[in-house]
Amino acid sequence: MFKKARQIFSVASYNFHQWRKNPRIIITFLLALILCFLLTDKAAGFAKEHGTSMQIVESFIWTFGDSNSILLSSLLLLLLFADMPFLSAGTPFYLMRINRRIWILGQALYIFLATGIYLLFTLVSTSLLCMTNSFSGNMWSKTAAILGYSGEGQAIALPALVKTLEMSKPFPCMATIFLLMLLYTLVMVFLMLFFNLWKGQIAGVISVFAFSVLGFLLNPENLQSLFHLPDELAYKARVWVGWLSPLNQATYHMHNFGYDRLPRLWQTYAIFGGLMLVLVALSLGAIRRYNFHFRGTEG
Amino acid sequence: MSAVIQLENLSKSFGEDMVLKHVSRDFEEGKIHGIVGNNGSGKTVMMKCVCGFLQPSQGRVFVNYKQVGKEVDFPENMGIIIETPGFLPNLSGLKNLELLASLQRRIHKEIIRQTIRRVGLDPDMKKPVGKYSLGMRQRLGIAQAIMEDPSLLVLDEPFNGLDKNGTGQMRTLIKDLREQGKTILLASHNQIDIDELCDTVCEMDAGVMTMIR
Repeated sequence: MFKKARQIFSVASYNFHQWRKNPRIIITFLLALILCFLLTDKAAGFAKEHGTSMQIVESFIWTFGDSNSILLSSLLLLLLFADMPFLSAGTPFYLMRINRRIWILGQALYIFLATGIYLLFTLVSTSLLCMTNSFSGNMWSKTAAILGYSGEGQAIALPALVKTLEMSKPFPCMATIFLLMLLYTLVMVFLMLFFNLWKGQIAGVISVFAFSVLGFLLNPENLQSLFHLPDELAYKARVWVGWLSPLNQATYHMHNFGYDRLPRLWQTYAIFGGLMLVLVALSLGAIRRYNFHFRGTEG
Repeated sequence: MSAVIQLENLSKSFGEDMVLKHVSRDFEEGKIHGIVGNNGSGKTVMMKCVCGFLQPSQGRVFVNYKQVGKEVDFPENMGIIIETPGFLPNLSGLKNLELLASLQRRIHKEIIRQTIRRVGLDPDMKKPVGKYSLGMRQRLGIAQAIMEDPSLLVLDEPFNGLDKNGTGQMRTLIKDLREQGKTILLASHNQIDIDELCDTVCEMDAGVMTMIR
């Protein structure tokens, strides 16, 4: 058991060794920084305009409490995993010393850790970008209060909602959003891994595209017009979307805090966790029949 | 002599393209078995099937009496080189081999160092593998294949990138390994390597294997 755990860790660390001086990895993190800069600009600009300060993680909360930002960030992460299932000319030497199961579990561990590092980078970046005008206490700022209670947040498409302000505090809210993003992104990447192994790399890309498009198109407005729902039944479309769209499952305010039928947070965790387990199990099945083609070794 | 590698009606297709065509052959223990053939003849595909990297479309592969892909994912106690060996470019040769050895923890650091010396490299060299010449990388590849003292070696073009002196050293090393009772499957373009080293020789041509000697 200990030997297997060590081997799984070794396979994951082999992938991390390839990060050093790797232009693709550097570009991914640089683009993530630029994306954070662009996305936080709205909240930071609002605070500056009103001469108010922000809580240090609020920029992350208002940025990634929105489904479109989550979608953009998760798609950018795919650059990190563009070479999935991570076959290089050195892979055969590893495979001969382990087995297929250990190898795929090592890749799963790598995906989990790399995604965590990427999201942590995003969190730190958004906080650093706004740190000159922020404080660290665990309370909502005046900026948040104006955005939420005056309705100005909705007007400029920032998800600073009254229910977020009333039901949570900045640090627990940030932790929840971080976890939701992590789970959503992991489901997406494990989906890509499974299709890569089962049907090839093109199928992997198509699967991620379909997963993202599904989340993007399944929004309350589209459902309302598709089923010709009157405005008084718009909440139904919102509830359906909250349950059906993976992207909305990853959005903090699309959850039930005690007064509607949206999924509760624990239900979302269970759905994403279950999907992840199913996808890892399917990948373990697909790897048994997988043909390895290593870069630079074809003859 | 017993057959440590058995190919039973082995075929491999990629889409419509049949790369290996009903190959059946036994490779006996303690000998060097040469495989010759042009590029694209199916040598590497056959070797990848033996190693378990490719699943046969038809037929079976047995290594040490265990069916590859069914009883074992990859044959146990086997060292390999599949053409150009790949290593982590930012680490030294010794560090690369230590990482590989740490997967099974069968050997000590001193054995790794001895093996590196055996292929004509300096284990104390700090230079990262990314700055190695092709010949040095090939030597390191041979070192990783033999360091855990496997009974079976699958070497696909092991002399790629080696100069005349290096090729001579590696030929001597391979002969020594045969003297120690290892079974070696050796693919090469070079007829001299095959003539000098191999006990049996097969030719691959368009996926068909023919016994030459």
